[in-house]
Amino acid sequence: MLAIRFHGRGGQGAKTASRIVGTAAFLEGFVAQDSPIYGAERRGAPVAAFTRMAKAPIRERGIIAHPDVVVVADASLMGDPAAKVLEGVDGKTILFVNSPMSAEQLSAQISARGHLTTLNLTEIALQRMGKRGAISALLGAVAGRLVGLRQESIHEAIARELAELGLAASVIEQNQDAAKYCYEAVPVVALESRARQTVPVALHIPAYESPTRGTAGITVGPNSGIRSVGGWRTFRPVLRPDLCNGCWLCFANCPEGAITIKPDGRPAIYYPHCKGCLDCVEVCPTDALTVERETEATSKT
Amino acid sequence: MTAQMMTGNLAAAWSARLADVDYVPAFPITPQTEIVETLAKWCGDGSLNARFVTLDSEHSMMTAAGAAAATGARVFTATSSQGLLHAFEVLYTVAGWRVPFVLVNVSRALASPITLEPDHNDVLAARDSGFVQIHAETCQEVLDSILMGYRIAEDARVCLPVVVNLDGFILSFTREPVVVPDQETVKQFLPPFRPAHLGFKASAPHALGTAVTGGATYSYFRHQIHLASVNALRVHEEAAVEFERLFGRRYDVAEGYRLEDAEDVLVMSNAYASKGKAAVDRAREEGRKIGLLRLRVIRPWPAEVVRRALRGKRAVAVLDQNLSPGQGGILFQEIAACLYHEPLRPRSLCSFIGGLGGKNISEGEFCTIFEQMEDAGGRGTGVGPVLLYTEAEHRDMEQLQFLAHELRTGR
Repeated sequence: MLAIRFHGRGGQGAKTASRIVGTAAFLEGFVAQDSPIYGAERRGAPVAAFTRMAKAPIRERGIIAHPDVVVVADASLMGDPAAKVLEGVDGKTILFVNSPMSAEQLSAQISARGHLTTLNLTEIALQRMGKRGAISALLGAVAGRLVGLRQESIHEAIARELAELGLAASVIEQNQDAAKYCYEAVPVVALESRARQTVPVALHIPAYESPTRGTAGITVGPNSGIRSVGGWRTFRPVLRPDLCNGCWLCFANCPEGAITIKPDGRPAIYYPHCKGCLDCVEVCPTDALTVERETEATSKT
Repeated sequence: MTAQMMTGNLAAAWSARLADVDYVPAFPITPQTEIVETLAKWCGDGSLNARFVTLDSEHSMMTAAGAAAATGARVFTATSSQGLLHAFEVLYTVAGWRVPFVLVNVSRALASPITLEPDHNDVLAARDSGFVQIHAETCQEVLDSILMGYRIAEDARVCLPVVVNLDGFILSFTREPVVVPDQETVKQFLPPFRPAHLGFKASAPHALGTAVTGGATYSYFRHQIHLASVNALRVHEEAAVEFERLFGRRYDVAEGYRLEDAEDVLVMSNAYASKGKAAVDRAREEGRKIGLLRLRVIRPWPAEVVRRALRGKRAVAVLDQNLSPGQGGILFQEIAACLYHEPLRPRSLCSFIGGLGGKNISEGEFCTIFEQMEDAGGRGTGVGPVLLYTEAEHRDMEQLQFLAHELRTGR
């Protein structure tokens, strides 16, 4: 059995990517299984999705704890402990990261076991599809290539899965073209077979605690302020004050309360709480809000 | 018949479509929503000739389901978790009406604290309602069990509603290959619904669920529900034989996996039983004689089948994906009770509580269960209830408690 784990941000297409690989494997005669996991649905929040493929019935279910391949849709997830991107990654895991950096450059920045490979999917999507939308087809193509699925199966699987989402034929074709490019461009690492020894784990026996700690409550007062979501952004909104007419629509529409109004009546973006949903850009009537891609250098705020 | 990739939710919707249901009262709730969304779409585009009605709550939805079934319509409905509990009063009421229909419950753990992922405290809360309960392990089994559910529910020896349970996320949102049976063969398995005791005619008014007092009358009618449920064991077997003949897949009230020569047995239900089987395979590779018993029909309780399966075993571990506070695992109690008079009962009965709120049960945790079970079998003592909850998970828990109670943010 091969197990592929996708990590992405809500809206990036990790779930659809897992389905593209599942369908492609199924088309090639494998038994396949794919599933997503997400909490309260929230654009930009870390999500994971899983694809298993095998020649025999698959008895594993739910999360993939020991992946053969990990596909990371957004490099910023590497630094988010909640995303648990590196969990279960060992020396034989193939780790793909959507990044402008080469595998060598990236491996100098992150300490991960496993074989690293990269491709700048976001840039490819911008150039070939001219959009900031989901990159599910590209992720699916890369994952499919790394587990040895054929390009034609990926091509067909993209058609099926994107049609399922109601996308137009022309958009599906664009996705297929970009996916084909990624399929051919991604530096391939050979899969190694892995044998693991299963050992018992230590169970913790919980003791009774007072209801203060023993119920799901919060006693320290508002603490969401300390949770930065700035790292969730793939793109950031940037205000051009000269074009702003002071209508406050961005302020009213920001779901995170990350836009405040200054004493002069103009908006200001508080980037640590901006998750990059770009709703403000959508509603701005004067195009005073523009979009810049986050890179590893700028995404630290 | 070729398979296609399908979620458990879509498989459930397909089954309702194949059963050619007449009426679908609906109220959406995560993780069930895809079922009613799909049926709404099919009713809209004419691929399913049924009346789809959204109700104001699950309480109304279940009332509508029972009332429609009482008119002789074939009814399908679905809910999950809090929704099932919101309909709770009506579950008992419609079972007493003896109206056959199929309810799908997509398991999701109950509040509080609130969550989305599955365990079985929701569906097991309905254990004593009179509904027949079938618990599915795979997406294929979801589809097949709903078809079997209609056949069992509509049998004159039963005439009770059936709940088919599937795990949220683990099956509901998981795609795997599913064979969709051919409509004509389904018609052979499931002839049109023509109940003798149901249906309304202007010329022949009748009342259902009338008031009785004094206890004796009540005792008689409630006991009839019990007898009807017990009959479902036989009717399930007949349905299983016919289902296998027509579709080539066999489902019994309980399933043994590598049980014949097993010394020790793990008892599970639902989708995580797949993981249990994988764990049994790994243990067998190490030469450990472990088997698995999967409970599929939980009401009626297949006491005789369970007794036969566990007779003469050394140790038995029941892995409950539920928790009855102040008691422990619900299925553990039922297993223990039905072994009491068995002369060759297992030396050890162990109780594990795992997968609450959808918590993963890791390979290492299965390994721990097997070790504790084997030790207990050697000693001839019981174990548990033991919560499957690891040291590593508790370290994360302490971090959350720190954020919730100790961290000062300066405000």
